[in-house]
Amino acid sequence: MTPGRRALFRNLTVEASPSRLRDIRRFIEDIAADATLDAERTFDLKVAVSEACANAVEHSGCHCTPLSVTARVAGDHLEIEVLDTGGFHLPSALDHNTRNHRGLGLPLMVALMDEVRITRLPQGGTKVILRLRLH
Amino acid sequence: MELIQTQLKNTPVLELKGELDHGNSPALGAAIDEVLDAGERIVLLEVSHVDYIDSGGVSVLLSALRRLRGTGWLGIIGPNANVRRLLDIVGLTLDDAFVVFAGPQEAENALKESLEA
Repeated sequence: MTPGRRALFRNLTVEASPSRLRDIRRFIEDIAADATLDAERTFDLKVAVSEACANAVEHSGCHCTPLSVTARVAGDHLEIEVLDTGGFHLPSALDHNTRNHRGLGLPLMVALMDEVRITRLPQGGTKVILRLRLH
Repeated sequence: MELIQTQLKNTPVLELKGELDHGNSPALGAAIDEVLDAGERIVLLEVSHVDYIDSGGVSVLLSALRRLRGTGWLGIIGPNANVRRLLDIVGLTLDDAFVVFAGPQEAENALKESLEA
């Protein structure tokens, strides 16, 4: 490896279950440490990734479908890709009658990250890409 | 997450420790509901040992506020800088029924004022 050059590509694949959100955050903490993010940016990244994953978890009826989280450095950005086999659901932000204010997830991702991209995959499933500037 | 119920000036305090996320926030929601069902109109959450909160936790706080608005208030004691920032982003700190305290002493002072009013 060329001295001073950092390669970063890591993946964690778990079942899309609420109990695995914690494991995903530990994975993100490792990624953030490798990328030398400060505590504030690490927190932001953990929240944004959790929101993307929580959406996938919520729409995996059996909590058994795979949820894949991949981190890579792309230029001067850290990129996290969250891939699931369900559909990304946009809950109404104006629904005050349900206990679950799920409409907050997407605004939070957008507020905390430099770029958020959501793609519905032709073969089924959703890809969420979160990008964070490193410098 | 760890959840312990205590009291400050006869007001219920829920002490949280750890991470408040989509997986465990329903437990906090149930604890707050129990306190409100018992007729309490002021609820305090001690969060100085909470190092993570996401929209799962925020949802529970919003639900509690909906029940308290106009009749009472929800106090958060000791949020760290990251937790405080998240509460700011989602607009919770703009709500009249939501009060942030740096520490227990500030919360106690506010309780005294509330009880005298």
